[in-house]
Amino acid sequence: MFDIAHILDVLIESYPLFMKGLWITLKLTVVSILIGTGIGLIFALFKISGIKILNWIANIYIALIRGTPLIVQIFIFYFGLAELGISAFWSAAFGLAMHNGAYIAEIFRGSIQSVDKGQMEAGRSLGMPYGLTMRRIILPQAFKRALPPLGNQFIIGLKDSSLASFIALSELFSIATTQGSRTFDEMTYLIIVGLYYLILVLLFTLLVNMLEKKLSAGE
Amino acid sequence: MKREMIRIENLKKSFGDLEVLKEVNLNVNESDVVVLIGASGSGKSTLLRCINFLEIKNGGKIVIEGEEVNPKSHNLNEVRQKVGMVFQHFNLFPHKTVLENVMEAPVMVKNEDKKEAEKDARILLDKVGLSDKADVYPAKLSGGQKQRVAIARALAMKPDIMLFDEPTSALDPELVGEVLATMKELAQEGMTMVVVTHEMGFAKEVADEVVYMHDGQIWERGTPSELFDNPKEDRTKDFLSSIL
Repeated sequence: MFDIAHILDVLIESYPLFMKGLWITLKLTVVSILIGTGIGLIFALFKISGIKILNWIANIYIALIRGTPLIVQIFIFYFGLAELGISAFWSAAFGLAMHNGAYIAEIFRGSIQSVDKGQMEAGRSLGMPYGLTMRRIILPQAFKRALPPLGNQFIIGLKDSSLASFIALSELFSIATTQGSRTFDEMTYLIIVGLYYLILVLLFTLLVNMLEKKLSAGE
Repeated sequence: MKREMIRIENLKKSFGDLEVLKEVNLNVNESDVVVLIGASGSGKSTLLRCINFLEIKNGGKIVIEGEEVNPKSHNLNEVRQKVGMVFQHFNLFPHKTVLENVMEAPVMVKNEDKKEAEKDARILLDKVGLSDKADVYPAKLSGGQKQRVAIARALAMKPDIMLFDEPTSALDPELVGEVLATMKELAQEGMTMVVVTHEMGFAKEVADEVVYMHDGQIWERGTPSELFDNPKEDRTKDFLSSIL
């Protein structure tokens, strides 16, 4: 079953096709994580704002996302947004972003609350308004602490993007399944696509580690 | 007569059911150094934090430089610019260098020109004896150095009043002196100061008035010699004999 020479042959042969899928996967991951980070930050700020209605909005959003399967969310976004004429790529991107956003919101909330409350007081005592203190003093420290769990969430987001294959987006995983069923060689293609994901995750981990080192320099 | 900088009338503050301040009255004139002493839990830190509205009073009046400050209608950020604060745990910004710590508020709040702010910050760091530490991050400083940076940072906003909340309580004993010396210098320059401290030597030497707090009230007040050498209240005597 694991004929390494055969797998290598298929790997080389299918390389151009997978590169196309890889490109879509990367685009999907980066876009959904960037938007998800923005959403996460907004909802984290809602949660710590102490304003009841904002708390409620954030709690409901997080409960809905965490309480339902991602595949259901992707289909809802796909069918919902298709009516507005939005492409499969963007509906998958929004779906994944909303999903990542809920988890990232919890990460940010935790890291913001872990910053010593004397930091906010010091800023306020100098006459800095709440928003300015948050932006200049609290968030830079919180981001640094959020980086390890964020990196983890990004890896999950990268792997979760494979679910976009269900809405006919030809990202990495869907290339593997279509090629697999076309050639009746599913196992080989699954191993290959697994390798692609593995390499992506390893590269990404390396990147996050480098960033962490760079950010912790000086302190 | 000296200008009145702070006037507090019937100040009340509770945390839940706990009444921390019960009808406190206090006034501080320009260039005066008022030292608040008392056991922990007596309300002295809360009183200090009420003066720059880190805690919001439940009742009474706070008048800063002749103007009653209502936390609901006043822009507290403007009031706080006039009232600098130094904390027990320094609360320096760890992701900024010493120089950036001192420049942060003048640049971001007062929109001072960066070069101007840097010049002022370096003068202040020189004044607290830390001009050689300008580009260092706070983590590399000793506790005494951190507290002196915190003093410089508060002074950078050119406040009229400085509040010190147990500024030496978190320091190793051998580092207390350098911070007290900086504060003494500031007092001699005529800064209006309210200081919560357990350093009775500082109180005796520098204070114009010593205020003994007990159970959320001002129990006794007077000049250092009145209060330390000739306390009238039994509570004050007990407290002083327990710490001296």
